[in-house]
Amino acid sequence: MAETFLSIKDVSKSFGPVQVVKNFNLDIDKGEFVSFLGPSGCGKTTMLRMVAGFEEPTAGTIMIGDRDVTNLKPNQRNIGMVFQAYALFPNLTVKQNIGFGLKVAGVPKAEIDARVQEMLDIIKLSQFGDRYPFQLSGGQQQRIALARAIAVKPQVLLLDEPLSALDAKIRVSLRDEIRSIQRKLGITTIFVTHDQEEALSMSDRIVVMHDGKAEQIGTPFEIYNHPATRFAANFVGTLNVLDAKVLDPRKGIVAIGEDKVDVGAEIDLSHHAKDGVVALALRPEAVSLGKRKGRDRSVTGTIADVHFLGSVIRMRAKVAGANLLVDTFNDPDQAPPKRGDKVDLTFAAKDLLLLND
Amino acid sequence: MTDATLPTAAARQRLPLAWLGIVPFLVFALLFLIMPTLNLVVGAFQDNSGAFSLDSIVQLWNNPKIVAAYWISIKISAISALLGALAGFFIALAIVRGGLAPWVRSATLTFSGVASNFAGVPLAFSFLATMGRLGLVTVFLNHVLGLDIYRMGFNPLNSWGLISVYLFFQIPLMIVIITPAIDGLKREWAEAAATLGASNAQFWRMVALPVLWPSLLGTFILLFANAFGAIATAYAFTGSSLNIVPILLYAQIRGDVLYNPHLGYALAFGMIVITGLANIFYIWLRMRSERWLK
Amino acid sequence: MKKTRIWPWITMLLGSIYFFLPLIATLEFSLRMKREGYSLEAYRVVLADPRFRDTFSYSVIVAVFTILLGVLLVVPTAYWIRLKLPKMRPVVEFITLLPLIIPAIVIVFGYIRMYGSNSVLPFLGTSRGTDLLLIIGYATLALPYMYRAVDTGLRTIDVRTLTEAAQILGAGWTTIIARIILPNVLIAVLSGAFLTFAIVIGEFTIASLLNAPAFGPYLQLMGANRAYEPAALAVISFVITWGCMSLIQFLSRYAPKSATTPQH
Repeated sequence: MAETFLSIKDVSKSFGPVQVVKNFNLDIDKGEFVSFLGPSGCGKTTMLRMVAGFEEPTAGTIMIGDRDVTNLKPNQRNIGMVFQAYALFPNLTVKQNIGFGLKVAGVPKAEIDARVQEMLDIIKLSQFGDRYPFQLSGGQQQRIALARAIAVKPQVLLLDEPLSALDAKIRVSLRDEIRSIQRKLGITTIFVTHDQEEALSMSDRIVVMHDGKAEQIGTPFEIYNHPATRFAANFVGTLNVLDAKVLDPRKGIVAIGEDKVDVGAEIDLSHHAKDGVVALALRPEAVSLGKRKGRDRSVTGTIADVHFLGSVIRMRAKVAGANLLVDTFNDPDQAPPKRGDKVDLTFAAKDLLLLND
Repeated sequence: MTDATLPTAAARQRLPLAWLGIVPFLVFALLFLIMPTLNLVVGAFQDNSGAFSLDSIVQLWNNPKIVAAYWISIKISAISALLGALAGFFIALAIVRGGLAPWVRSATLTFSGVASNFAGVPLAFSFLATMGRLGLVTVFLNHVLGLDIYRMGFNPLNSWGLISVYLFFQIPLMIVIITPAIDGLKREWAEAAATLGASNAQFWRMVALPVLWPSLLGTFILLFANAFGAIATAYAFTGSSLNIVPILLYAQIRGDVLYNPHLGYALAFGMIVITGLANIFYIWLRMRSERWLK
Repeated sequence: MKKTRIWPWITMLLGSIYFFLPLIATLEFSLRMKREGYSLEAYRVVLADPRFRDTFSYSVIVAVFTILLGVLLVVPTAYWIRLKLPKMRPVVEFITLLPLIIPAIVIVFGYIRMYGSNSVLPFLGTSRGTDLLLIIGYATLALPYMYRAVDTGLRTIDVRTLTEAAQILGAGWTTIIARIILPNVLIAVLSGAFLTFAIVIGEFTIASLLNAPAFGPYLQLMGANRAYEPAALAVISFVITWGCMSLIQFLSRYAPKSATTPQH
C-alpha cells in the first residue's frame, strides 16, 4: 500500500443552516487519481473547494503531505486547479498564462520560458504559444488551463468538471489526455464530475457522493459491480431493481412474483428489508434469456419491447409488474424474441445485489 | 448555409429598395447633425469674404483669453473626469466585490442612474444651496463651529468649485458604466490566480487591472467629453465669471463678443476637435476591451 | 474568503455624504423662505408663477413631440438595419453616437447659422419653426440613448423570424412595424422615452440659444434673480428626474426576456 498523501478527516461544511458536506473522510495516496462522482448539489464541488482553500470547513482537518492546510489561504497551498469554464486570463497570451504561477513565484525568466515550452510540448500546442485565449477552441483552452495548473509542479491537482463545457468528441480525447499526463507526472489528483462514464474510465478510485455524504468509496470495478447502496447502484450504470418478498431469511429464499429464488446468502432483515420486502438489483448484462452456464436462478417474464442497438440487443421484460432490462450480444444465427413472448430470464446468485436504502 | 446565402442573392437585386428604408434617418442626420457641424468647420476656415483662410485658426492660437479658456476647460474636464473615474471605480468595486448587502448595490445603481442625469441648472442650484453664502454647510460651519469660511477666503465659484459640482454627475456616470465591466471579471480568474500562488495584489496588477484598463480609460475619456461640452451647470453656477470655452462660445453666439464671427466658428471647431479626438480614442479602446471580454 | 472588510463601508459612507449633503441642503434651503420657520412658501410662489406653468407646460409638450419624433426616426431605422442592411450598422451606430462627440452648443450654433430667417429653410423665421427646430435639436440630443435602447430591445427578439412569420400570415409593412415590432420593443422604447424626457425637460443650452420659452432658461433666470425659489425648483427637477428613472427601472422588470433564442 502506497503512503497516504492527502488526508481529509471528519470534514463538514454548512452554509447557514444547510449542511452541504457531512463528516467526509478520505485518504488519497501519492499519485492516485480519485473522482468525486455525484449529481449536482451533492457537495462534491464544495468538498473540492475546501481542499483548494476557497471554502473553510466548519469542522475537520485537511492534510497535504505532513502539512495541516485546513486554515491556509489558497495561494499558500501549492495546488493546481482546472475550472469548468477554463478561466484563462484573457489579457495574457498562452505562454504568459502557463508561466503565470512561475512568474508570481519569482522564478527567473529563462527558467520560466523553458518550463512553459516543456508544458506546451506535453499538451501538443507549441504552435499556439503567442495566441490569446479567445483565439482558441474550448478544448485547446482547457488543455492550456491544465498546463497552467501543472506548470508550478503542484502537490495536488484539482479538476472541477473540466470536461463539462466541451463537445462529446473532444471530451473523450481530452479525458484520455488528462489521464496520461497525470500518470506521466505522477501527480495526486481529485477530479469532480457528474458523469459516471468519465469517473469509471479515468479513476483509480471513485467517491460516490450523495446529499453531502460519501456513499461509497472504491475502485471503478467495485463501484460498478458491488454498489453498496441503492443510490450508488442507480447512479453508476443501468440497474434493474426488483422488489422481492422474503420467505426464509436464514436460507435466503425470496419470492419474485410467482417465482421462488434462492439468493444464495442469508438476509439480514434488520439491515436490508422493509416490511419483509428486499430490493434486489441486477445489471442488464447479468441477465440472459434461457439457460446459460453459471446462471442457474430464473424468473419468468414477458417481453415488452426490443431495441436493436447493433452489437447489443436491449430488451425490456415485465417481471411481477416491474421492468427488467436485459442486454444480450447480437447473435447473427438467432433472431431476437418478439413482443409478448414469454421468456425465462436467468442469472447467477452472485450477481444479485442486496441494496441498503 | 443556404439560409445565409439565399437572402444575400435576393438582396442584391433589390438593393436600391432596401436602401430606401434608412433614407429618412440619413436625411435627418445630414440636415440636423452633420451639415450644421460641417457648416461651422467650413466657416472656421473662411474669411469674411468667404475665401479659404487660416486666419481664424491662427487668431485662436494667438488670443490669450481663448487659449486660457481652452486650458481651463481641459483642466476642469480632465480633473473632474479623473476624480470622478477614481471615486466611481472605488464605489463600483465596493458594491460588486465589497461583500455588501445586495440592496446596497441596487440602491447605488438606481441612485447613480438618477444623479448622472441630474445635471444642468438645478444641479448648480443644489450646490449653491449647500456651499453658497447662505448654504447649509456654510451656515452650519459659521453658527456651530464659528468658522466664516467666506471671510477666510473661500469662494466656490472657481475651477475647483465647479469640479466639485461636476463630480455629482461624473461619479454616478462612472458607476453606471464601469459596474458591468467589473461584473465581467470572472470569479474563477481570481481563484485560478490564487491557486497559482498569486496574492490579491498580484492578481489585480497582472490580471484584473489590465483587463479593466481599456474600460477604465475609455470611461475616463467619456467623462472628459461629458464635462468639456457641458455649459448649463457652469453657467448657472458661476454666471459668466469663469472663462471656459462653452461659456465663451455661448457669449459669442449671443452677442459676438469676439467681434469676429469666423473666430466663433473656429472656437466651435476647436471643441469638436478635442471631443472628437477623445472619442476616437475611446472607441478604439472600447473595441480592445470588448475583444478581451468577448 | 468572505471576511467583512472595512473599506467598502468607508467608501460608501464618503459617497453617501457627498451625494446626500447637497440634496438635504437644497431641501432645507427651499423650506427657509419665511423668516419665522420652515414652510412651503417657496414652492407656493413657484407653482403660482404663471411663467413656471407656461414654460413647464411648453417643455412638456416639446418633450412629448421630441419622443414621438425620436421613435418615428429610430424604430424603423433600427429595425430596417437589423432586417435588411446589417452592413450599414456600424455607419448608423456611429451617426447615432455623434451627438456625444459634438457638444450641443456646437450643434445649435450650426442651426442658427444654417436655419436663420434668411436661409433656404428659415426655421428660425417663425415661432412655430423655432419650436420645430427645438424639437429636432432635442431629438438629435436624445439619439444616442434612444437608438441604444431600441436596438437592445430588438436584439432580444428575433426580428427576422417574427417578420417572416407575419409576412406568411399576409401582413404588410405598416402592420408588421405597428402591430408586431413596436409592441415587442415597447418597453425599450418607453425606457428611451423617459430618459429623453429627463434630459429634455430642463435643457438649457439649445432652448436658450434658440430663444425658446422653455423651462431650462426659466430656471436659469430664476437662479440669477431669486434666492429660495431656485432651491424649490431644484427639488422639483430632482423629483422629476427620479420619477423618470424609477419608471425606467420599473419597466425593465417587464422587458421581454429573449423568447426565440434558447435559454441557458
